[in-house]
Amino acid sequence: MSPRVPFALAAAMLLGACSKPEITTYRAPKDPEPAAKAGAPHAHAGAAPAAAPAAPATGGTMAATPVATASGPGLAWSAPASWTVKPASSMRRGSYTIKGDGGEADMSITAFPGDVGGDLANVNRWRGQIGLAPIAPGELAATVQRLERNGLKMGAVDLGGATGPNPQRTLAAIVPHGGSSWFFKLTGPDALVAKEKAAFMAFLDTIKPTAP
Amino acid sequence: MNGPLRTARDFLVSLKLTVVLLALGLILVFAATLDQVNLGIWGIQEKWFRTFVVVQPMGAGGTSVPIFPGGYAIGGLLLLNLIASHFYRFAFTWRKAGIQFTHLGVILLLIGELLSGLWQEDYRMQLHEGETKNFSEHHLNNELAIIDTTNPAHDEVVAIPEEIIARKEAIQHAKLPFRIVIKEYFPNSDLAMRDAGSTRPPQATMGIGMSVAATSQPLTYKQNERNMPAASVELVGTSGSIGTWLVSTSFSPHSRAPFLQAPQAFTHEGRTYRIALRWTRSYKPFSFQLLKVTHDVYPGTDTPKNFSSRLLLKTPDGREDREVLIYMNNPLRYGGYTFYQHQMDSAQGMTGLQAVKNPSWLLPYVACTMMTFGLLWQFMIHLAGFIERRRAAAAANP
Repeated sequence: MSPRVPFALAAAMLLGACSKPEITTYRAPKDPEPAAKAGAPHAHAGAAPAAAPAAPATGGTMAATPVATASGPGLAWSAPASWTVKPASSMRRGSYTIKGDGGEADMSITAFPGDVGGDLANVNRWRGQIGLAPIAPGELAATVQRLERNGLKMGAVDLGGATGPNPQRTLAAIVPHGGSSWFFKLTGPDALVAKEKAAFMAFLDTIKPTAP
Repeated sequence: MNGPLRTARDFLVSLKLTVVLLALGLILVFAATLDQVNLGIWGIQEKWFRTFVVVQPMGAGGTSVPIFPGGYAIGGLLLLNLIASHFYRFAFTWRKAGIQFTHLGVILLLIGELLSGLWQEDYRMQLHEGETKNFSEHHLNNELAIIDTTNPAHDEVVAIPEEIIARKEAIQHAKLPFRIVIKEYFPNSDLAMRDAGSTRPPQATMGIGMSVAATSQPLTYKQNERNMPAASVELVGTSGSIGTWLVSTSFSPHSRAPFLQAPQAFTHEGRTYRIALRWTRSYKPFSFQLLKVTHDVYPGTDTPKNFSSRLLLKTPDGREDREVLIYMNNPLRYGGYTFYQHQMDSAQGMTGLQAVKNPSWLLPYVACTMMTFGLLWQFMIHLAGFIERRRAAAAANP
């Protein structure tokens, strides 16, 4: 063996070790239709088949792609008469407007499979939406008020204290039910939402599982 | 041989260098093992072994500072040292043949590890009962795929590795009639539903990103977790923006949430496309259809006894159309790949196969055989000498 061989080997090693990521193009067979999706893992069996959107086979934008909500056991509620019903969207189970002196607040009722990231993630997401800093896991217990209404466990939060020219406030409740998480969330101008808190808490009292 | 060359040669064949490199190797393995707590098995391989220099972020700014020679440097020098010494110092004799054979085995082992690091492909294939697949997916790497689905017979794929996405530079490719602009990129992300009342603008103007928001998460190095990157990607054609999509590896058929399983599609200049950030795919010239998964337990207990997957192996040319059974410790070797039983969720009728391609997989076996043979040879030579001396001593002193 030539004495140069070790050096050639070393050079090959160095070159080989420095491979760069590159864009590749290739022709691929069509993805098989997800025929077995009924057996695919889902957050809970009741929600999946009805909620799965039809995959657009070709063309079209995704702008109108439906977003699946939980379709398992449902919840029922009675909203205060002062809340104005808004047209429901594909994502909302219920939608209301509350008008007052300070402007307009939005009440949304949504439901999604699973725990949607858990209480801390949801609370911090809502805090972020109204300009509040996230809380640490240790502060969650002091932030979330644990309630039980009509056999349902609820976690209610009152997120306020935002500063700025138009401070916002959020009242929300997370209600796990039938493998899904239901979110009752009232957001709007701080003064208006604070004034509506009693109505919101009374509203939570009315939430109950629908008859099977 | 002139001065510098002689110095280089003396350095390379030095036994001191061998000892120093072995000591450094010990420290490297020890330090990497400790660091596994922070980075996990894959992270430390990249940081400590598959690199020439180990760098560590230091200080508040996280400046990368070299702290130790990496596995490639130590292993490479050790390899050179072994080879150089072998040819410079050792003269072949039958008495020393065992030592030479053992050293050759060590050299082959080092080369084998290097080649495994460079060539080994480690992919996964998840299948549900009844499902057919002809591709596997990388267990770590991701890619942004722009797929032209216009032709009803096949798809044209442009796959952009995540490393290129991470640069957040505009990407232009000859096969695409638009430019790709990476507006946001998160190496690991979490998804949450966007609220209608959110004051933050959505990360997308098209597709599911209008309803879902991605937030950055710390990278995970846990063995049972995977980073789920996300990116906000704008496509810009000759007449302006086509739209911005939020893509994430969480939007995939693997997703547990049904609404995240739908592909994101759009049309441009009469052609239809899909866009997805997905686990890097490797297509195979054959397909598997999962017929049945079986999870056996010992009677009266929940202790697993066996996991097995019964599959239909097919090739487009019809040469293969047969059932195969993959179960624990009984992989299938086919087409240069080894398919191991890796995961199973029998309740959902799902199996996970590990598909490994390593052209150099035989080298460690050959190396170990050579080392065993060399050591045995050397031992037998010494044993024979020892017996001979005892016989001679016995004959001299009857």
